[in-house]
Amino acid sequence: MHKYILRRLLMLIPVMLGVSFIVFTMMYITPGDPARIMLGESAPTEEVEKFREELGLNDPFFFQYGRFVKNLVIHQDIGRSYTSKRPVTIEILSRFPNTLKLATLGIVVAVVLGIPTGIISATKQYSIFDNAAMVAALLGVSMPNFWQGLMLILLFSVHLGWLPSSGFSSYKEMILPALTLGTSSAAIITRMTRSSMLEVIRQDYIRTARAKGQTESVVINRHALKNALIPIVTVIGLQFGYLLGGAVLTESIFGISGVGRLMVESINARNFPVVQGGVLFIALTFSIVNLMVDILYSFLDPRIKSQYK
Amino acid sequence: MLKKKSFIILTSFLMIFTLMVTGCGGESQDAATESQPLIVAQRSDAVVLDPHANNDQASSRVMRQIYSNLINQNESMELEPGLAESWEAIDELTFEFNLRQGVKFHNGEELTANDVAFTLNRALGSSHVSHIVGAINPDGIVVVDPYTIRIATHEPFAPLLAHLAHTATGILNEKAVTEAGEDYSQSPVGTGPYKLSNWLVGETVELVIFEDYYDEANKAKIEKVVFKAIAEDGNRAIELETGGIDIAYDIIGTDVDRVANHSDLAMVRDMNLSTTYVGFNAEKEPFNDVRVRQAINYAVDMDLIVDVVYLGTGEPSRGPLGGNVWASNQNLKPYGYDVEKAKELMKEAGLENGFKTKIWTNQNQQRIDIAEILQNQLKDINIEAEVSIMDWGAYLDATAAGEHDMFILGWVTVTGDPDYGLYPLFHSKTHGDGGNRTFYTNERVNELLDLARVNVDPAIREAAYIEVQEIVRDEAPWIFTWTGEELTGIRDNVKGFKNHPAGHHKLWSVYFE
Amino acid sequence: MADVKIVKKKRSQWMEVWRRLKQNKAAMIGLFIIGVLVFTAIFADFIAPEGYDDQDLYRRFIPPGSKHILGTDHLGRDILSRIIYGSRISLQVGFIAVGIAAVIGGTLGAVAGYYGKRLDNMIMRLMDILLAIPSILLAISIVAALGANLVNVMIAVGIASIPSYARIVRASVLTIKDQEFIEAARAIGADDFRIIIKHIIPNAMAPIIVQATLGVASAILSAAGLSFIGLGIQPPNPEWGAMLSAGRYYIRDHWHIATFPGLAIMITIFGLNLFGDGLRDALDPRLKN
Repeated sequence: MHKYILRRLLMLIPVMLGVSFIVFTMMYITPGDPARIMLGESAPTEEVEKFREELGLNDPFFFQYGRFVKNLVIHQDIGRSYTSKRPVTIEILSRFPNTLKLATLGIVVAVVLGIPTGIISATKQYSIFDNAAMVAALLGVSMPNFWQGLMLILLFSVHLGWLPSSGFSSYKEMILPALTLGTSSAAIITRMTRSSMLEVIRQDYIRTARAKGQTESVVINRHALKNALIPIVTVIGLQFGYLLGGAVLTESIFGISGVGRLMVESINARNFPVVQGGVLFIALTFSIVNLMVDILYSFLDPRIKSQYK
Repeated sequence: MLKKKSFIILTSFLMIFTLMVTGCGGESQDAATESQPLIVAQRSDAVVLDPHANNDQASSRVMRQIYSNLINQNESMELEPGLAESWEAIDELTFEFNLRQGVKFHNGEELTANDVAFTLNRALGSSHVSHIVGAINPDGIVVVDPYTIRIATHEPFAPLLAHLAHTATGILNEKAVTEAGEDYSQSPVGTGPYKLSNWLVGETVELVIFEDYYDEANKAKIEKVVFKAIAEDGNRAIELETGGIDIAYDIIGTDVDRVANHSDLAMVRDMNLSTTYVGFNAEKEPFNDVRVRQAINYAVDMDLIVDVVYLGTGEPSRGPLGGNVWASNQNLKPYGYDVEKAKELMKEAGLENGFKTKIWTNQNQQRIDIAEILQNQLKDINIEAEVSIMDWGAYLDATAAGEHDMFILGWVTVTGDPDYGLYPLFHSKTHGDGGNRTFYTNERVNELLDLARVNVDPAIREAAYIEVQEIVRDEAPWIFTWTGEELTGIRDNVKGFKNHPAGHHKLWSVYFE
Repeated sequence: MADVKIVKKKRSQWMEVWRRLKQNKAAMIGLFIIGVLVFTAIFADFIAPEGYDDQDLYRRFIPPGSKHILGTDHLGRDILSRIIYGSRISLQVGFIAVGIAAVIGGTLGAVAGYYGKRLDNMIMRLMDILLAIPSILLAISIVAALGANLVNVMIAVGIASIPSYARIVRASVLTIKDQEFIEAARAIGADDFRIIIKHIIPNAMAPIIVQATLGVASAILSAAGLSFIGLGIQPPNPEWGAMLSAGRYYIRDHWHIATFPGLAIMITIFGLNLFGDGLRDALDPRLKN
């Protein structure tokens, strides 16, 4: 197991290098001069030129990339933001708590809504509840979340005045963003729970358990759910990883200062060091969450564990 | 026996609970706060709090409260003494400034002429604001005694005093800057009425009153000011209505009436120094023909466009400079909406069958709307225009390179001096990247702009600028579009707030009632 | 002989899929929605009451009513007409982006799975790299690099979803490649290219089709998201996401401008998802509950 984890971690190194190279190349070929954008349309040309020189943007491509890798490997330094001059790590880490909070709340919403609905749907297959839940779930994945966010603001902030439309410090401010972000994951988890439960329910040992005269709730909760949990956990993990990196639109609608919005702003401003650092950070988080899901997996299913040895 | 299920649900609730507790931890209110903080919302968080490290509006709005200048420019754009009690011109190139004595920085240091010299030299070396002080000759910055400093320019430079009132020339403390090194922006030290107390990057900047502020009579009235970044435009109005904030900058057109008519809110509206224009590439066919540019000016109903797009905020521009800028010519005759005349001019230019062209803009909803309406209206004179929305960086690159036909852009004459609002935009020296993205060239305009830059006689300068604006109006490298407005929403109990045309409003005069 | 037999078997297999699909009510509803959408897109010129760019600045913000069923927008254009024309753009983006992703991803996956070893390793690591970059950020940077227009949005959305196709095709190639009929083809001297095109791809088709149907839905969503943050297609083309984005400024006074384009997106995605689900069940009866 340890060996397996170690190998997976080592594999991350080439992947991260690849990510950084792709991001670096993309940023390099994208038109738009960071110095000009930073200084604005009214700055004179000489000033822009001076700033380009300061940022090292006049150096050849491979020289710039080499310098980046060198600083990263030797000094563990991703550089400083072109605009704020703060270290990139600080730029990202100061926004990460919001992103983490948002993703966690989103996944909590998804789990709380998704798993019970999925279980009930599966036990009462083709009932009205099941059908309604499945339509709702499908609508949930079909809804563009930026639109959903706007509609929630329209209803709860503007018309009813119950909840604030922006900010992210009190729990009241977190409700709408969490709902917006969590909806599609809730839908996915519902569907997964249902189909996974259905699969398990038809297995022999469930029939055996029923035949032994155990009550339905015991059968469902003790036997079925436990075994159905593996794919559900995987989906939850994947969704969590996805929410950590994919909350750009939710963050911008609710004005949450998170990593996603920082990234979009930095791409627009050609703030290369922040883009570079941010993408690496998100990619790393995503990969680590995936790894953790795989490890969790092996605890839930001993058969899988043996494969890792 | 619902063990497993309840376990999951229980954990979920536990998670929520922990999050709420941790999430709200920082928010718990101090019961013993002496006074209510003033919460001000703007579109984005300050980028830096070092005046030489960036030149953006969000940062300037905060830095205005932290730093003071040698000279202040009041809400009517008149110059007033600041850290300098008085000044006089010694010769054509040199001003001598007498500093106030006993002025304290936030770190307890006392202001001396050395700090001023240090600040100006540092600004000159900055790649962000050196153009603001670019006229100054570094060898001409002479400390006469601790409270007297002379500042000389390379050539006579009439707008110097206005430039010294720019937020980029706020006076820094030499010791504080040197000690903080690369991280100075995180711990700014000025002589202003407020000092930085806490900065949550991307969210809020908290300032507290500076007790030793030099201007006893104008000490801040509110203990604590919080700048909050609310990016989604409509949300600033919503937050203002629900009482989450006290002042909201940059209320959008759709919300202005709502705020103004709200029983607990008020709008503070004043014209500002910004202008939006539609530019032609005057070096490129067919826009190198003045008749074509004029024809398009006649063919578009700019009053209607401005009304539709800006919903009654600001006003249609009369010329390249807004009314707040000194020597702006507000007597220029508007082209007016006259399609027949436009067709005539197109015919004269041999283009009665029109042509194909492109209108470029960046991702700004108002500008996109303008482009779409222009596209429609130009069909009347057989011009088939394609609208192209570009990413800001690519847009600046391409318009600097002269690849464009028509484009929509803005300018802020932040110093309130016409030199800033005309020279970069219409002098042929500044073609492309330097600001003149229409590549407009007119010898007489060049001559007048050069003259007015170095002449210190206001009457001569004024006459020159008036003439420049007339020529520009007639030769039409632009379609004059819109002059902006400062649209600030405040709660009713907020008193003493005034808009500054440059956008960085002072908050130390504000109090609650 | 062998070839003919396989083709015949194929055909009856697809007939069987269709038979199963027809029994699935939800899938049929989905198919109906898609059908209506395709019809609208093709015949937009006849269906739409007005053109998509018929501005009239004197009839702005008309609420939904008899004259304009869904009202007019901030430039006085009929929203219904714009939504109808918008279906063209959304479908184009959806199908072409998926086409790009499926062709490139499918080829990469097939090559990786078929040749295995180092080539496989290289391709799949490249896919890991692409997968590690959040797709919306990848798409944003691609559009920023290439410029914002319809074609580039398709490319951006397409590239961002290449890895999932590569993985799916690779997986099915791995299960197929050692089967007897491939060995047989190889024995009669078919070259690798022919084997991949003629035998491997058709047999890996089922999962690709399912992924593609669902992929069209997510491609439309991504494109709308890009438009929403201002990196979409060029105006006055009526892209639903861009319409929504322009309408949000007026949402408090004129809710209809942003609401209907959002509904249009939702219904479209809903239809595609219903159909995609049904298709999956029909193609793989074991999964059907």
